[in-house]
Amino acid sequence: MIANVNATRMELLRLKKRLSLAKRGHKLLKDKQDELMRQLMEIIDDVKEARLEIEREFQSILQSFTIAKSKMGPHQAEEALLFPTKKLSVSVTKKNLMSVRVPIYEREVEGDIIPYGYLNTSGKMDDSLINFEKFLESLLNLAEKEKTVQLMAEEIEETRRRVNALEYKLIPELEETTKYITMKLSENERSNIVRLMKVKDIVRSH
Amino acid sequence: MKTKIAAIGEKDIMLIFKAIGADVHPITEYSQAASKIKKLAKEGYGIIFITENIASELDQLIKSYSDQFLPSIVVIPGLGKRNNYALKRLRQAIIKAVGIDVIPEK
Repeated sequence: MIANVNATRMELLRLKKRLSLAKRGHKLLKDKQDELMRQLMEIIDDVKEARLEIEREFQSILQSFTIAKSKMGPHQAEEALLFPTKKLSVSVTKKNLMSVRVPIYEREVEGDIIPYGYLNTSGKMDDSLINFEKFLESLLNLAEKEKTVQLMAEEIEETRRRVNALEYKLIPELEETTKYITMKLSENERSNIVRLMKVKDIVRSH
Repeated sequence: MKTKIAAIGEKDIMLIFKAIGADVHPITEYSQAASKIKKLAKEGYGIIFITENIASELDQLIKSYSDQFLPSIVVIPGLGKRNNYALKRLRQAIIKAVGIDVIPEK
């Protein structure tokens, strides 16, 4: 498609500038897309492995926890855990990964995981809680990684759209339009020369 | 920046999250969960754990948070039936980015 422009030299210059800018942008975006893709591929297997591992582990922890709970009776279990002594807070820092801002979680823990006296509770409960505490680290890790994958996937999609818009729409359009203008201008030039020659002929014949 | 941790899910599972000091929100109906997630996200929780069964019901809502820096919604398996929601979501993200499915089926 040819853009609706006046076939003038000024317009031609302007279009040429835009074209070179578009080409540079296209190259940069394409590089960005390739690199993002490479990095995504690198972490994708890790994430999948981590996810499977965590699901397995969490289920076994949950099972032992449930057994402990049913041993103690639901009310007592709830009572025992009513006031958690452990304080978990997470600090988030941003990391810039190819202009994608991904979170890094760091946990800050205070207090002991076991908030109850040992008298009324089952030992299985202690075990599952301690296991869960250890497990938390990998859970946060997974949260971080999964978020990274999601954010990167979004970014790649966006970049791909931009690259395609430049490659298949803007750049061809600009190229065609500059071509159209050069043709038009040289046509004008030729018709001008012809006219001059004709005029000269008429003048000479008099 | 400090952030808080929340967990949403069935009551049985929430107890263990309570022990580690996360803010737990046990729910009994799926319809409660959606508004709860929105509320938690607005309050600035950084990580929200949610059980698989609820997550698969709220697919749209969870996806709408996937392009935001916070919160990060982490799906955890619940008791009982598995539905592999997290892996499906991972796969969808990859398909979106790459255009093809690069995680082989088991």
